[in-house]
Amino acid sequence: MEILIVMCLGIAAGKYLFPRRAAKANERLQLLCTLLLIFSMGVMLGRREDFFRELSSLGLTSLLLCLVPTALSVLAVYRLSRRFLERREEGAGEKEKAEEARK
Amino acid sequence: MMVILSVAALVCGVLAGTLDVLPGALDFLRKHTGAVLYVLMFSVGISVGLHRGLLQELRRHHVKILIIPLGITAASALGGVVCSLITRMPLGLGAAITSGMGWYSLAGVTIGNLAGAQAGSIAFLSNLMREIISFFLIPPLAARFNSYTCIAPAGATSEDTTLPMMIRYTNEETVVLSVLNGMICSALVPVLISLFCSL
Repeated sequence: MEILIVMCLGIAAGKYLFPRRAAKANERLQLLCTLLLIFSMGVMLGRREDFFRELSSLGLTSLLLCLVPTALSVLAVYRLSRRFLERREEGAGEKEKAEEARK
Repeated sequence: MMVILSVAALVCGVLAGTLDVLPGALDFLRKHTGAVLYVLMFSVGISVGLHRGLLQELRRHHVKILIIPLGITAASALGGVVCSLITRMPLGLGAAITSGMGWYSLAGVTIGNLAGAQAGSIAFLSNLMREIISFFLIPPLAARFNSYTCIAPAGATSEDTTLPMMIRYTNEETVVLSVLNGMICSALVPVLISLFCSL
């Protein structure tokens, strides 16, 4: 919930306060934060005592339990978004094209 | 480029954690990852705020924006059932593990408590792999499918760790949908794990 509040504060700042010319600097800040978070995740894994042992003994089962739901999720969201979320955009695009052709 | 930087950051982090280089600095970073995440979210908010007309774009979809989290949740649980049939583990346990949807810390600990240490370790590893694989899947998915599909592999992590990849490879509308998806999936993870473990 806090994440959403912080993001909403950021949206308000971006809409009313933040100068457009500083957008590039904002992107660089995002990159830095992202890399810090990934590095921190790596530190957490490296410090986990049994991590490499667990990876070698349970790795294949874990990989299967990662790949199958990920693949099914990709398939489901792609099909659902094509069916329900993109249709209007396509419809709007066709409408615009038809109007242009009429002109 | 982002993928290379991400891999480099992850490998450097694992090496630094294993070798315990500069323990004081690493402890400080580990304790303040929440603050880094807040800075990131504020910065993402600024990017969204700079994009004019975004809220109107979202309003256009109405309740249809729930399709993404519901699709991911159902497909993840189904994936667990399929894996259970292949590995011959109990159906409920397989569904519980994959219902972690990338939230490895919670899934590992909860399933470890409910179904034993080995199941907890598998839950931890498989959900960690999902998060890591998401980093590398988002760029090709954005190029070959559509921007909404990039949210799918990320699952519950689409509101935090994988969000920066969404920002880089998709658009502001998808970023907002990604945050909403992450919140809904994160709320469902503990409920689904408890439910499937009790089956």
